[in-house]
Amino acid sequence: MSIILISSDHYETCRAVAQQVAESTGYALLDRKILGEVASASRIPEPKILKSLEPSSSTVGLPAKVRNRALAAIQSAVMVRLLDDKVVCYGLAAHLYVLGVSHVLKIRILCKEEERVSLMATERNVGIEKARKLLKKQEAVQKRWSLDVFGRDETNPSLYDMVINMSQIEPDEAVNAIVETVSYRKFQSMTYSIKCLKDRELSIRVRLALMEKYSDVDVTADGATVVVRTKALRREKRKKTENIRALAGQISGVSYVEVHAGRDIFRQAAESA
Amino acid sequence: MAIITISRGSYSKGKEVAEKVASHLGYKCISREVLLDASEHFNIPEMKLVRAIHDAPSILDRFSRTRQAFFAYIRYALAQHVKEDNLVYHGLAGHLLLKGIPNVLKVRVIADLADRIRAEMKRERISEEAARSLLLKDDEERRKWTQSLYGVDPQDSSLYDLVVHVHKLTVDDAVEIISDTAQRTPFKTTKQVRQKMEDYGLACQLKAGLADSFDNVGVKSEYGSILVYAKGNDHYVQRVRKRATEVTGRMSGVNELEVHAVRKLPLDVV
Repeated sequence: MSIILISSDHYETCRAVAQQVAESTGYALLDRKILGEVASASRIPEPKILKSLEPSSSTVGLPAKVRNRALAAIQSAVMVRLLDDKVVCYGLAAHLYVLGVSHVLKIRILCKEEERVSLMATERNVGIEKARKLLKKQEAVQKRWSLDVFGRDETNPSLYDMVINMSQIEPDEAVNAIVETVSYRKFQSMTYSIKCLKDRELSIRVRLALMEKYSDVDVTADGATVVVRTKALRREKRKKTENIRALAGQISGVSYVEVHAGRDIFRQAAESA
Repeated sequence: MAIITISRGSYSKGKEVAEKVASHLGYKCISREVLLDASEHFNIPEMKLVRAIHDAPSILDRFSRTRQAFFAYIRYALAQHVKEDNLVYHGLAGHLLLKGIPNVLKVRVIADLADRIRAEMKRERISEEAARSLLLKDDEERRKWTQSLYGVDPQDSSLYDLVVHVHKLTVDDAVEIISDTAQRTPFKTTKQVRQKMEDYGLACQLKAGLADSFDNVGVKSEYGSILVYAKGNDHYVQRVRKRATEVTGRMSGVNELEVHAVRKLPLDVV
């Protein structure tokens, strides 16, 4: 009874490994197929949902508000499905936001660099050297995206339990290593680790509900108690706190809401200027 | 039947993992032995060799022939152990020193900074602040050193076949994962791999013989035929040729020697 999160520097490789792991373990596969449901539940068009997961070097990307709401909707949908247990998840950036849950095994797969270069050369119809440069640029964009959006560098190995480089290790062997590792007792779900996951699910659900009105909220949950942190001007503090408390209180699973509203110094400075 | 290099930061439990892997597989486990062998063989104080491969080089050091020569001596000493196969090496830069040998399983063992700080505080009886500062300085030294010699960051996961995070996974889990991977097909020593190890040993031996006098030289061997690439003018190349002939005359297993003048040293040379 575990959860396996797989991340990679190459989407197709990640998918192939995740599919094989799911087949070998008999776990359910959780991937981008859920994005349609996420789109209809959040009323954000599916292309925008997909775009929020794809780093772009272009300056004309999704507006931050839309992107954050789309990502929160994805996170909420992923968390609900992870509660089912026995899941292999990839392609939904779950390794960046499912944290502190002991029965989650996090794996990063690194594809052969030469293979990625030649794929890039074919895709973009460019020479090998140009493709190598493009790949480096793409990696830098991906790294910046993970830092900007989740505050974590996804290339940092300490984010994972294991990193497997496929330069010498064959996919089947990588799959075997993952399947064996997940069978270790420490990756079995326990009452406490399930509670941690439930808390995370509730906090992201509350955040998503509040984001329609307040985009700057940070939410943590412990059982049925929810703590919301936000910023407000002195004159709007009471009203905002009451609104947040009322909105969050309506969500199922929430019995007590605590709101901490700090001073919004930037807006205050802008208004006094 | 494999060679395993284990790269680690201080207090990352890499040493413990390496020793247990070696014991589990019945392999030889070495680290400092390589430096002792190099020190004895080339009559250099061990401390000087340690500094050459541990401390980050200064600007002047980067162009120092001595440092490069020390490095060649250490690589030669390691190559002698590698020829015997069934080896776990957890000294510095094994994954880079043995670049080009196909069956080497390159592993990095990492631990959370907080766990490492706790271990350092306990062992050295120092404050948390001091332990943090020492660990970060040590990591930075190693990063600069690898960067200056190989142009790579030792924390880059793509340099290794496997990175194991000892936190949720225990030392024993890491041992099991590494031992299991080492026994898989790509890491088995075949006849071809054995030949590569022999060739690598020859190339390292000649490089060690040239390194004290020549810095722009690369060596490789194919089935005992040694190719030396020298970057310099005709006179320089002539001197390299003369010295290489002398050195190979004392070596066994050399079939042929060729010295080529090049503008840029090939990537697959030692």
